Amino acid sequence: MQDQHGTDTLVLNGRRPVDGQPVMAARDLALGFGSTTVMRDITVDFPRGSITALVGPSGSGKTTFLRSLNRMNDKVRGFWNRGTITLEGQDVHGDIDPLVLRRRVGMVFQRPNPFPMSIQDNIVSGVRAHRMARRSDFRDIAETRLAEVGLWSAVADRLGDSPFRLSGGQQQLLCLARALAVEPEVLLLDEPTSSLDPRSTEAVEELLRRLTPGLTVIIVTHNLAQAKRLSDDMIFFYEGRLVETGKTAQMFDSPERSETARYLLGEADPVSHR
Amino acid sequence: MAFPTEPADGEVTGADTPPRSSSGAATPHTAGVGAGVVLIRHDGVSPRRAQMRRLATRLLDGGTGLTAVIPFLGLAAMVVVLIVEAIPAIRFNGWGFLTSSTWSVGSLYGNAVKTGGVTHLAGAHYGAWPLIAGTLESSAIAIVVALPLAVGAAVIVVEKLPRAFGGVVGLCLELLAGVPSVVIGLFGIFTFGPWLAKHIYPTLSHMPNVPVLNVFRGNFNSNGEGLLTAGLVLAAMIIPIIAATTRDLLRQVPETTKEGAQALGMTHAEAFFNVQSRWVRTGVVGAAVLGLGRALGETIAVAIIAGGAGQSYLAGNIYGAMSTIAANIVSLLDSAQTDPTGLAVKSLAEAALVLLVITLLVNIAARVIVRRSSRGAALPVGAGF
Repeated sequence: MQDQHGTDTLVLNGRRPVDGQPVMAARDLALGFGSTTVMRDITVDFPRGSITALVGPSGSGKTTFLRSLNRMNDKVRGFWNRGTITLEGQDVHGDIDPLVLRRRVGMVFQRPNPFPMSIQDNIVSGVRAHRMARRSDFRDIAETRLAEVGLWSAVADRLGDSPFRLSGGQQQLLCLARALAVEPEVLLLDEPTSSLDPRSTEAVEELLRRLTPGLTVIIVTHNLAQAKRLSDDMIFFYEGRLVETGKTAQMFDSPERSETARYLLGEADPVSHR
Repeated sequence: MAFPTEPADGEVTGADTPPRSSSGAATPHTAGVGAGVVLIRHDGVSPRRAQMRRLATRLLDGGTGLTAVIPFLGLAAMVVVLIVEAIPAIRFNGWGFLTSSTWSVGSLYGNAVKTGGVTHLAGAHYGAWPLIAGTLESSAIAIVVALPLAVGAAVIVVEKLPRAFGGVVGLCLELLAGVPSVVIGLFGIFTFGPWLAKHIYPTLSHMPNVPVLNVFRGNFNSNGEGLLTAGLVLAAMIIPIIAATTRDLLRQVPETTKEGAQALGMTHAEAFFNVQSRWVRTGVVGAAVLGLGRALGETIAVAIIAGGAGQSYLAGNIYGAMSTIAANIVSLLDSAQTDPTGLAVKSLAEAALVLLVITLLVNIAARVIVRRSSRGAALPVGAGF
């Protein structure tokens, strides 16, 4: 795929015009575990229908931040947060039931994590939990979602089989299909292609690009080339702070901050002390 | 990583450039070793040394091969000896051994008689049906009671209790699994049985006369001896086995799979039934069989608490005095050895053979269940246990 971000991504992605309100937003957010503060002073908007890449060196707090967007850190011992996170203007910590929040804000992990059940049952597991369809519709839902992620032809004749016999890339696509089956508004991805081979990575990226007009994607990635070719917007975290945010193409062309520039140039540690 | 012997490159190492290995080919003679150390090369210098290495390999291969064969040989030897020992009894007792309820050595004071080539005492008759029934009944009670309690305990330890407290409970489970069965049997006869007879059985025996519940109706012994107490004592003995195994299985469920369920908006319970329970299902069947095997073969605790060891009682109701194959073998062995024809001992060997067959059948059945239930969702750990 050619990099399309040199020109107006809004038009190219066929996205709805931004209607003013971001899908998700964080205000003065601070996150931590026990006496450690992992992130502080995070204020950011996630534009509707865009792919936002969260980048930054390891330990910069990207994943902690991502996981707090659908409250996946709640059960982690000692976790605390201050400030607010909103989904469509509603506070995720007060106005929305966490189970509903996680249906509306889906998540796909670094490693494929199929459930120990058949391929079809995997796809409809969320649908079943949220009572979103009748049992008789499950097969159609599975087919639709598998076709959506481009896995249908590979598994059409073995919907009842174990997902663990699929390749790693296929398993990750299955997990994407499973997350998409509950029709989330936002999809959080934590380095979803880091354990995949290049072709599977391409398949996942192509899928995300195809989904974005109707879906907002927030992706943590260590792969700057991926951030560049995939994302519309980018947020750069460094040592628990949000350093810079903006259009991806613009940030790669002319980053405002020196830390961003160094990181995007490929230096592992943007603020060298030597 | 530091490269003291190499000058740093002029260019900054990019994120895409893999760091160079310190044992790279650039400086082969001193690679990975401090300055001044010269590595000794044995290549082609000492054939003796090479021979020693090959010998060690062969010893290891042979040794591990031997240890792998020992369990198989042990099992085979046990079965063969048992069969050979039991053959005269099998010929004398016929199929009646499985269906008859009388166990009699015969008259020790009369002369030995010969029937069908087998020497036996006059009036000898061996029927193991009450023992077979007692074995199956007491073990069935044990597994029905133990399985839900054990799995429940394991789930609570892993999923609910704080880590430290869960560790203490887990330790207690393991210690409980190691309590000698004679201690549990004595506890059963002195404390548990009388307690049941005083506080539980009076109510239980007045259950309404409807199917299922009516099995609890009937008279019971005032000190609690009998089938139900034996089954409950067996349950107490196998709960730790099943619980400890289930706990270990639950701990092996990958965190990331559990999080996947959570991230889909499942409740804790939904996640458990979708992920953990399916993940451990086949293993729990295996653990249950392990426990059942112990219950089927348990000897001394049952001999103490069953109320009918050494006899041929078929339990009249769920509280009735009874015995099992294992308990009867240990109770009768002494007197059986007074039979000059030896047939009493051989009949006990036949009973042991029956027990072995029952245990094997239970194992095979469990394997079939495991294979059937795991089809379609084979776990990465491999099919079946």
